[in-house]
Amino acid sequence: MLGYALRRLVSVSVTFFVVSIIIFLMMHSIPGGPFDAGEMPLTQEVRQRMMAQYGLDQPLYVQYLNYMWGAIRLDFGVPFQSPGETVAGLIGRAWIPSLVLGGLGVLVGTPLGMLLGMAAALRRNTWIDYLASAVATLGLTVPVFVTSMLLILLFSVWLNWLPSSGWGEPKRWILPIIAYATIPLATYARYTRAAMLDTLSKPFVTVLRAKGLSERRIVFQHVLRNSAIPLVTVFFPMFLGTATGSIFVEAIFRVPGLGSFFVSSIETRDYPLEMALMLILAILFALAYLLSDILYAWLNPRIRFGGGSE
Amino acid sequence: MTRLSPDHLVSVEGLHVSFSGIQGKVQAVRGVSLHLDDGESLGIVGESGSGKSVSCMAVLRLLRSPPAQISAKRLEVAGIEITRASKSDLSAIRGGVASMIFQDPMTAMDPCYTIGQQIVETIRTHRGTPRRRAREEALRLLKKVQIASPEAILDSFPHQLSGGMLQRAMIAMALSCRPRVLFADEPTTALDVTVQAQILQLIKEIQEEMGMGLVMITHDLGVIAETSDRVAVMYGGKIMETAPVERIFEAPSHPYTRALLDSVPGQGKGRGRLTEIPGSAPDPSSPPEGCPFHPRCPEADARCISSDPELVKVTEASAAACWRLS
Amino acid sequence: MLEALVTAASKMQPALQLCGIGKTFVLKSGSVLNRRRTEVRAVRDMNLVLERNSIMGLVGESGSGKTTTGMMALRLIEPTSGQIRLEGEDITEYGHQEMKEARRRMQVVFQDSYSALSPMLTLRQIVAEPLLIHGAGGATERDALALEWLERVGLHRSFGSRYPHELSGGQRQRVAIARALILEPAVLIADEPTSALDVSVKAQIINLIQDLQNEMELSVLFISHDLSVVRSLTDRVAVMFNGRVVEEADTETIFSQARHHYTRSLLDAIPVMDPRARPRRHFMSREELEAKVVTLRASEMDGPARPSGERRLVKISKSHKVEARVAA
Repeated sequence: MLGYALRRLVSVSVTFFVVSIIIFLMMHSIPGGPFDAGEMPLTQEVRQRMMAQYGLDQPLYVQYLNYMWGAIRLDFGVPFQSPGETVAGLIGRAWIPSLVLGGLGVLVGTPLGMLLGMAAALRRNTWIDYLASAVATLGLTVPVFVTSMLLILLFSVWLNWLPSSGWGEPKRWILPIIAYATIPLATYARYTRAAMLDTLSKPFVTVLRAKGLSERRIVFQHVLRNSAIPLVTVFFPMFLGTATGSIFVEAIFRVPGLGSFFVSSIETRDYPLEMALMLILAILFALAYLLSDILYAWLNPRIRFGGGSE
Repeated sequence: MTRLSPDHLVSVEGLHVSFSGIQGKVQAVRGVSLHLDDGESLGIVGESGSGKSVSCMAVLRLLRSPPAQISAKRLEVAGIEITRASKSDLSAIRGGVASMIFQDPMTAMDPCYTIGQQIVETIRTHRGTPRRRAREEALRLLKKVQIASPEAILDSFPHQLSGGMLQRAMIAMALSCRPRVLFADEPTTALDVTVQAQILQLIKEIQEEMGMGLVMITHDLGVIAETSDRVAVMYGGKIMETAPVERIFEAPSHPYTRALLDSVPGQGKGRGRLTEIPGSAPDPSSPPEGCPFHPRCPEADARCISSDPELVKVTEASAAACWRLS
Repeated sequence: MLEALVTAASKMQPALQLCGIGKTFVLKSGSVLNRRRTEVRAVRDMNLVLERNSIMGLVGESGSGKTTTGMMALRLIEPTSGQIRLEGEDITEYGHQEMKEARRRMQVVFQDSYSALSPMLTLRQIVAEPLLIHGAGGATERDALALEWLERVGLHRSFGSRYPHELSGGQRQRVAIARALILEPAVLIADEPTSALDVSVKAQIINLIQDLQNEMELSVLFISHDLSVVRSLTDRVAVMFNGRVVEEADTETIFSQARHHYTRSLLDAIPVMDPRARPRRHFMSREELEAKVVTLRASEMDGPARPSGERRLVKISKSHKVEARVAA
């Protein structure tokens, strides 16, 4: 088990290394630079001095190594759009609303989605099942910014119950969290239903019935346990997957989180901030997959206790 | 549970099972009547789609409904009418009065729990034995099914065991509440030749020792010859013939039974063509009019095509559904 | 002239020879620091001769190595040692192009023909596919031959436009056989082709294989765990146990005069079709069977034999080989 975790860790590190290079190269292959002529015409001399100051005149691999050496010490440089602070400082300030939004959204959406999926699987081809399928399909196909707009239209404009944007007092959190929660809700309703139906069709469930177990015990003791294994693997990556969805939610509800800076950093060609955000996202994704792999192995006796006798 | 004393331990009369699906209604079982007494060994032989497994699943109400639709004049186990049984009666019957073992032991156990946990769970469900005592009981059962190192097996997960070992553990689990009847649905088909013979012998020994009823469902006439006292031959969702096992092998009444016996390979010496049954089994979504076997029957005539023969007595203990006999 | 001589010479050779082939699988386990390498010898030093115009049964239980052997003969699994000779020609080291040519002469049918038939193609396309791959004939010619073959394996021509999912198990197996034989190969390797079939259909397929073998003078390697089928279908049988052949003889000899303990335990396990017999059996575990070695005196052997403490496959008659230790 420990060996398995270590091996996964090594492979995840390699993946992360490759991804960091790709990100770095991509950023450099985007045409145009921060000191290009345009809005701010600079003389050749000034431009060169600026390039040297930010180390942009050195060979690419040196730039990469410098950058990564800094990144390890959480020094991502200074954001172009806000030179008064460091990138690390800006991210430190902006991640709290994102975490609150994302965390609460997942916390609300996941259990609801699971319940819906379970109900659908256990009452197959009844109205609950159709409702769950409809919710899941809508949640996955309707983009989150449309959901957000509809929520604003309904609760802010027509009913006038809740404010349409901003952060600050918790009243303002409700709409973005609901908008955000639709993603894990839909995802989990779908996955739970599929996983439960898959398990319910396994021969061992018939055997459990033939043993005389109550339907309740079969579902809670056996079917859920078996269905949880694939669900766990979805959890962490989905948790982060929704983080990219939060870019829209944050933009629409004007939440001062990472998402809104992500958008503005692209608009302003703010390399240091953009790269820092992308690197952080990459490392979080890598960790999420690592965690879900390890959890999967731990939950699944076939991996935990090694191969069979045959 | 003690009600009116039943005529038979298991009685099935006029059982019909159909499945409604996208492609219409599939009639899997069309009027099957069977009975079994304590300590008796009944073999149900048939090919895939003959309705042999479905009939037995229906007796323990193990078919999901919908899609399955079950109707019967009588469907009783130990005097309890299964179609109207309460949840608690049904729980008491399943695993308590009647146990079942299945074809593929590899998929019959929950992969997330150890063998011990699964046997203990069965014992505790029916008898509420304390965990510790139930574990001792499980150990005793594993010894009974001739597992060499029962302690190790008790704490193993299903994937760590071979098919033969798992089937033994399944049998141990099925026996844990001393059932009065064991339904064995092709229990050896997925196993190696030598393991198959071992498991059959084990089932037979235990059945005789415990005086338990046994229903052996199989496609293999050899398995029937080795384990059953009485045989029902099924085809196209119906019983074609029922007779004592010796009569089935020595003087079969129905053309299908005869054809089935003739087509078994390895009976003659040396290489040679077998007697084959032409054509293929009937499509259960549109079974033929008349006798289900008539399209493949060498003796079929106009009567067989137009109407379906009833089971008629051939001797005191045997019956067959064939116009030739009436 | 020369070509005709060469062809004639190759016709003298056995259809298929496996010369000392073996396969070792390496299993890795343990942690990064404490890596264990376990070598599993699935097949070891195996010799087998498939004579022309005959059916040979390769019998054994799961893990005996019989399927691995079949896959190695086809070079779908590469052997770790030994040689494969197809009509006398050593194909062990053949490259992709040469192997493609060789596969024309050696075809295979599997147990699960459903997964082996492309669900997107009609049956006539499936049966004609080998012709297409080997560039044989024009489109109309290929199609006509495919329909002809469907009839030859007992399916009506109208099946040509159907799809695999519309067929029963037995019909699919017929299609698989038609596809394997349309190139008129010399050798057919059949890996448990009847195991998944119902009794009445099994007999049909066994008869079909017999008939086609006779008509085409095919050489068939029939891999099976079912001794009853093997008895009705094969001329000769090789019994595999733990990755090696422990006994080989003409089929009836195996059934009447088996010498090896494993062969006997296999025969003993066949259900007896007589309800009045009901034999009580005594079983031996694989370990016990492995430990029980047949010991023969040199006089019991066919031809000169040197005594040896090691067990090996020895000839006890002109056509009967058994794994034994030879006493002085």
